[in-house]
Amino acid sequence: MRIRSSSFSTRAFDAFILLVMLGVLFTCLVPFIYMVALSLSSPKAIINNQVSFWPVGFNIEAYKQIFSYPNFFQAYRNTIFYTVAGTAIALVLTVMFAYPLSKPMLRGHGFITKLVIFSMFFSGGLIPNYLLISSLHLTQKVWAMLIPFAINQFNLIILINFFKSMPAELEEAAIIDGLDYAGILVRIIVPLSTAALATIALYTAVFFWNDWFNGLIYLKSKQFPVMLFLRNIVTGTSMVGDAAGAGDKTSIAISIKSAVIITSTLPIIVLYPFLQRYFVKGVLVGSIKG
Amino acid sequence: MKKVILVCLLALLTAFGSTLVAQGVQESAKGPLKFSMYYSDNATLPFKSDWLTVTEVQKRLNVDVEFEIIPIADYQTKVSLALNTGTNAPDVILYQSTKGENAALALNGAIVPISDYAAWTPHFNAMVKKFGLEDNVNLLRLKDGKRYYMPSLFDVPFYDGGLILREDLLLKYGLSAPKTFDDLYNVLKVFKEKNPGSYPLTILAGPRVLYRMTMPSWGISLGKNGASGTNTLSWDYTAKNFFAGAISDQYKQYVTFFAKLYKEGLLDPEMAEPIDGDRWAQKLATGKSMATYAYYDQIGGVTRTSTIPGFKLQMYPSLAGPAGAHHQPKSKTGAGILFPAATAKRKDFEQIVRAVDEMFFSEENSLMWCLGVEGITYTKQGDKVVFANDILNAPEGIYKSMQIKYGCGSDVTQMIWVNAREMTKYDANYAAINAAVEAIGDVIQAIPPTPMFDDKQAEQAGSLQTPLADAFERWNTAFLTGTKSIDKDWSAYVQEMKNLGIEKFVKIYNDNLQ
Repeated sequence: MRIRSSSFSTRAFDAFILLVMLGVLFTCLVPFIYMVALSLSSPKAIINNQVSFWPVGFNIEAYKQIFSYPNFFQAYRNTIFYTVAGTAIALVLTVMFAYPLSKPMLRGHGFITKLVIFSMFFSGGLIPNYLLISSLHLTQKVWAMLIPFAINQFNLIILINFFKSMPAELEEAAIIDGLDYAGILVRIIVPLSTAALATIALYTAVFFWNDWFNGLIYLKSKQFPVMLFLRNIVTGTSMVGDAAGAGDKTSIAISIKSAVIITSTLPIIVLYPFLQRYFVKGVLVGSIKG
Repeated sequence: MKKVILVCLLALLTAFGSTLVAQGVQESAKGPLKFSMYYSDNATLPFKSDWLTVTEVQKRLNVDVEFEIIPIADYQTKVSLALNTGTNAPDVILYQSTKGENAALALNGAIVPISDYAAWTPHFNAMVKKFGLEDNVNLLRLKDGKRYYMPSLFDVPFYDGGLILREDLLLKYGLSAPKTFDDLYNVLKVFKEKNPGSYPLTILAGPRVLYRMTMPSWGISLGKNGASGTNTLSWDYTAKNFFAGAISDQYKQYVTFFAKLYKEGLLDPEMAEPIDGDRWAQKLATGKSMATYAYYDQIGGVTRTSTIPGFKLQMYPSLAGPAGAHHQPKSKTGAGILFPAATAKRKDFEQIVRAVDEMFFSEENSLMWCLGVEGITYTKQGDKVVFANDILNAPEGIYKSMQIKYGCGSDVTQMIWVNAREMTKYDANYAAINAAVEAIGDVIQAIPPTPMFDDKQAEQAGSLQTPLADAFERWNTAFLTGTKSIDKDWSAYVQEMKNLGIEKFVKIYNDNLQ
């Protein structure tokens, strides 16, 4: 695919872009590599500032310790479930919502779009939301994590515009061939929208993976996602009490914090390369002739 | 046939017995008493449902407690939501007080006024009486004269943190242990001379630990962790009222002293930023700093990681300042237990209150939350407590290993703190320092009283507090680091604080004292 250009300025520009991209890559990777190194180093080496990009005093104690935390795996399973189920529900509902809104011929589509946009900027706030979810009997059920966040306005608008940009001729051809609108959506539109859907799936999956706050307020502790667990370990240890007793003031070792960060972010990072293949341009090239 | 009659008789007897011992929670006829409880979970000692203390207490009382384990960082959010909305609230909430938002919630009926049910909390009442804390507990009442939680109780406050110095260096340079802040200045000066690249005094968690531990020796307590929670006011222990500590001469002297340390490079220049536990340990372990204000149980961790030969940290009693030797004021009551309003609607509310009272405040059970179960975690030789071998030989120390393995000594579940009993969990050195502090006398003063505000006054006080606190923080950092001169700019600072209403703020507080 690469088009070689003999012009010097183009080559120089390519080299420049390559350099910039390498720089970006470097800045993204460095903190991650540092975390990996910390998580595999001995606490002594860390405190004495000897660790840079390679583990010093290699050991896997930190990982052993987090795996021995009660409920760590439970929380991990919960998160995987919320991410997979949440993304699937979000994709189905967003597609079903976006498709009709992409048809200007439908009466009232403008009004509904405005309603959606309104809710992007104004919301009821925490307590009304909680009361709503509670009176829908969703609290303490996994649905409280999945249903309220199924449709993200931003993703919806991306998808509406993507659907709008599809050539109307495709649908006309399908109608002539005897498909109804449901058939068109399932057989023509969705298969041609994998790039947009993959983007949205990624956004949604990352959202569900990172979400801790909704888990905290709506769920019971057995249903908590792993991010809450991570938050507790990384930030929740520096409490200094006012009472007269010896509170707990010891902090958690950096190696454990790093190990928790690695174990809880790695899976979602690994997802990216697998979705890469859906980001293909030009699926529509050649779909309409004449 | 005989068997059937016997069983019937037994059943009758137990039923009869349970009505007779109406107070006894144990004899509930229909299996164990069930209720739910919020527990604030700290990642350094993650809750385990099979902890000896947790299983044993449920067995002793025949209760089935459903613990809701909530990470400490988000505990307040979850509690606030449960109390504000009243839906999905647990029956019991641990680790709470009626400071801040909870006071308003209590006055609006979201929390059970537990002082109305004193007859159901005999164990709590007995402990209050035993420690002589009636007045302290009465001070926890809100504007309507009711108390909304059962606090944890302390007989003698601990000296659990303070000045920590490199003892090996004191010996090496032939210095004696500091007794006053002037001594400290001289010690730091020598440290700096011998190690020019160092900043001898560093501080854990930003300046707030330093401020809260040293300001009382000047007769003030200000800033983010000031004892009164007002940020800019201090309590006059002789006159028994509040004064504008932030613009007092005492504060001027205080900030002058620390600005001098800062200017001469004796104080960590990063102190104005929060120094977290990890970097703090790093500075001490690598010898970049030799003195600090921090907590005793952190010494071990730093010492273990240091590679400096002969490295030894020691904690010292509070140093004397212009107002005597004082540590941060401490309360003899701590966070405790409250009941959301919905619990009072349960038919078995009385049983729940009685069960909770016995679970945490009875003589035997409070002993268990501290030391575990006799024969398993410890044995008694005469009066002396001897811990089991696995605890004695644990590398993390007695206190920590009892927390992690058995759930003893967690400030969420232990409600009764007897200083002498706690000291058995620590080494002789710690007990000796505590004894030395006690010998000085009145080192740890009481926390100033909380005024009884109604909603409107609370609102007014709150709206004055924030801008004053911000201005104080800004000026304090400027004075300390020398960007503002204490001599020249002091009057401008006092004027600004007055413009922001510090005098009115003092008045609201003094007018509403109990």
